[in-house]
Amino acid sequence: MRQEYAWRSLVLAGILGFVGVSIILQIIRIQNSPEAATFRRQTASQANITETYYPDRGEIYDRNGHLLAGNKTVYEVSVDLNNVKDKHAIALTVGVQLGLNPDTLYSQMMNPPDGVQTLVLADFVDSDKAAMLQQIKAETDKQAAAAGHASSLTGLGFRAHPQRSYPEGALASNVLGFVTREGRGYFGVEEKYNDLLAGNKVNVTVPTDPSKAVDIPRVPNGTTLILTINRDLQAATEQILDESLTKYGAQHGTIVVMDPRTGEILSLASSPRMDINQFWNYTSIFHNASEYDRAISMPYEPGSVIKVLTMAAALDSGTVVPSSTYLDTGALLIGGATIHNWDMQAWGIQDMVGCLQHSLNICMATLSEKMGAQNFYGYMNRFGIGHLTGVDLAGEAAGRLKVPGDGDWYPVDLATNAFGQGVSVTPIQLLMAASSVANNGRMVTPHILYAMLRDGRQYNVSAQYAGSPITANTAHTLSQMLATSLENEASGALVPGYRIAGKTGTAQIPTQFGYDSALTNASFIGWGPVDDPKFMIYVWLEKPTASIWGSDTAAPTFALVAQKTILMLNIPPDNIRNQVAKP
Amino acid sequence: MQNVNYTVDNFIHAYKQAPWRIQMQWIGAFLLGIFGLALVAALYLDITSQAGIQGRNIQDMTAQLVVIQHTNADLQNKLAETTSTYNMEQRALALGYQPIEPSQVEYIIVPGYAAPKPAILAVAPALKPAAPSEPPEYTQSLIEWLDQQLRMPPAISMIGIAQ
Repeated sequence: MRQEYAWRSLVLAGILGFVGVSIILQIIRIQNSPEAATFRRQTASQANITETYYPDRGEIYDRNGHLLAGNKTVYEVSVDLNNVKDKHAIALTVGVQLGLNPDTLYSQMMNPPDGVQTLVLADFVDSDKAAMLQQIKAETDKQAAAAGHASSLTGLGFRAHPQRSYPEGALASNVLGFVTREGRGYFGVEEKYNDLLAGNKVNVTVPTDPSKAVDIPRVPNGTTLILTINRDLQAATEQILDESLTKYGAQHGTIVVMDPRTGEILSLASSPRMDINQFWNYTSIFHNASEYDRAISMPYEPGSVIKVLTMAAALDSGTVVPSSTYLDTGALLIGGATIHNWDMQAWGIQDMVGCLQHSLNICMATLSEKMGAQNFYGYMNRFGIGHLTGVDLAGEAAGRLKVPGDGDWYPVDLATNAFGQGVSVTPIQLLMAASSVANNGRMVTPHILYAMLRDGRQYNVSAQYAGSPITANTAHTLSQMLATSLENEASGALVPGYRIAGKTGTAQIPTQFGYDSALTNASFIGWGPVDDPKFMIYVWLEKPTASIWGSDTAAPTFALVAQKTILMLNIPPDNIRNQVAKP
Repeated sequence: MQNVNYTVDNFIHAYKQAPWRIQMQWIGAFLLGIFGLALVAALYLDITSQAGIQGRNIQDMTAQLVVIQHTNADLQNKLAETTSTYNMEQRALALGYQPIEPSQVEYIIVPGYAAPKPAILAVAPALKPAAPSEPPEYTQSLIEWLDQQLRMPPAISMIGIAQ
């Protein structure tokens, strides 16, 4: 009996052992089968995914913390071609919701590019539209799940990513520039500081196995920039520019407001402007890149505003003093060419204040002749004429100052350059040069960056000085002369309650056939208050038709901008300031 | 007396040599081994599953962080649009405000008044963790964890002793 039980046990043990060994052998076989190798390869290939983390582009603020350029979320709408169930339904839904042609979408899905598994149907879709589409998909999926079949919108996917956004629209568009969908900055701050704003992308290999979670490296966002721009002053400046262009029938114009003590650009208006949220309109608005920001990119013959520099050079070199006189005969022959005053008249005996007040070309030509070419061009060189200012905006042009030795320089240029013809400058160049007069002889480099924010720290940009082309004494003397000349002239640039120094400019425009006397560039450069300048303003109106003269067009425009600047910078009138200074 | 001792010795010997007792010893050893293996397996599964759950949580939170950052950027953008120069001007005009003219401004000398300095725009520096943010529980293997536990010094009472 015991023997029989023993046999049964042995048989049962043998069977179980056989089953066990069979299972083990099967496991070993499967582990080493070609299919297993394929699965292992697939697992290895899907074990890690390489993800690229793009930092959000740094924001741009004005000096008071108002957002000028930020980022908003947009969506990429795509379809997983390996997982799609109903291409018709997807094409129709996406087409209707996003305003695209369903037939085109369907055709794209039916004929995808080789190797593409995820087909992008639309990109940069607004969050509102994407949310609507996501809601439709969620409802469709829910209904399909309840009915027990796959959703017709299976395969439709969304990926959020940031897009540059400019909440102020066209405001300061000439300063900011814009960012294309490829993420590259063009013009202005966006181009100049593109690398800082964009930050550095980081590639990370991330295991898909959640038990192997790795630390995602912190991807620092691009550097945030704070500009010297005052948003409200910028808006006011642009409004005044637009009104002046209309009022005086000018084709284009630019106005720059700068702090002469630091070189901080407080506002920079240029025409035309565009809503930089729709940067693709650039080519229909601008004909070439130099039109984008005329203040820095478009050199022109400035005319009499350059007389500030000529007089500064003459005073500083000791060629003349304010009381020096000369006899204005109305014509001066230099280098085979005859120089005339703007009104073709003779002004008789004039001192240097009268010279500035009446903007006499012959006076300036006489001064440059007396100084000599080497001395005159030496000063112009130290004022930075013909050189880049180094302003931190993309696309600055250097202008042109011909000097003796250049193939196209003639002796008459010494005379014409002294009153702003035959020399091309940008408004920002003249602002920088004249800042030496407003700033005790020290010339400041104009700049637009107030501070940078990175890793929670603020790095302020300090003022940079570009030398002292003239002495402080010369600067004070010339400022007083310019203020007096404006007051004597009862200029339209005067601002009640504030003493202003400045100079008008009216320059004929050179053409292929010589200068066109009917078309001019009207300019004005000025600063105030004279005893403690807190702002400098440059106005350039291109081809005004209401009047060709800067005194009739640019000077009143200057006064309007100066009044707004005074209000917004909270600068008390001279008499109040003097009371505070002398308690 | 001698016979009694002999009988007891025989009984003890018989008990030690009893077949069922040897079987019980084998079964006990086997079950002990099984229990040990099951304990290790359970521990391993527990730690692995916890690591997996936490890893998934990290992935979810990372995704949430991105969404929150995007939402923040969107809100900031909307706020900037709402308070843009144009909108603020329109709202001010709708409320009956007018642009001020220079002649309307009255300046008053206030002794001792100092104009406010420009605000520091930067936010407070973000706190940086002193230690790696990824705890060892997410990276070490079971053997490493056991090794760490075995090497860990015994807990010491932190109660001070007064003299």
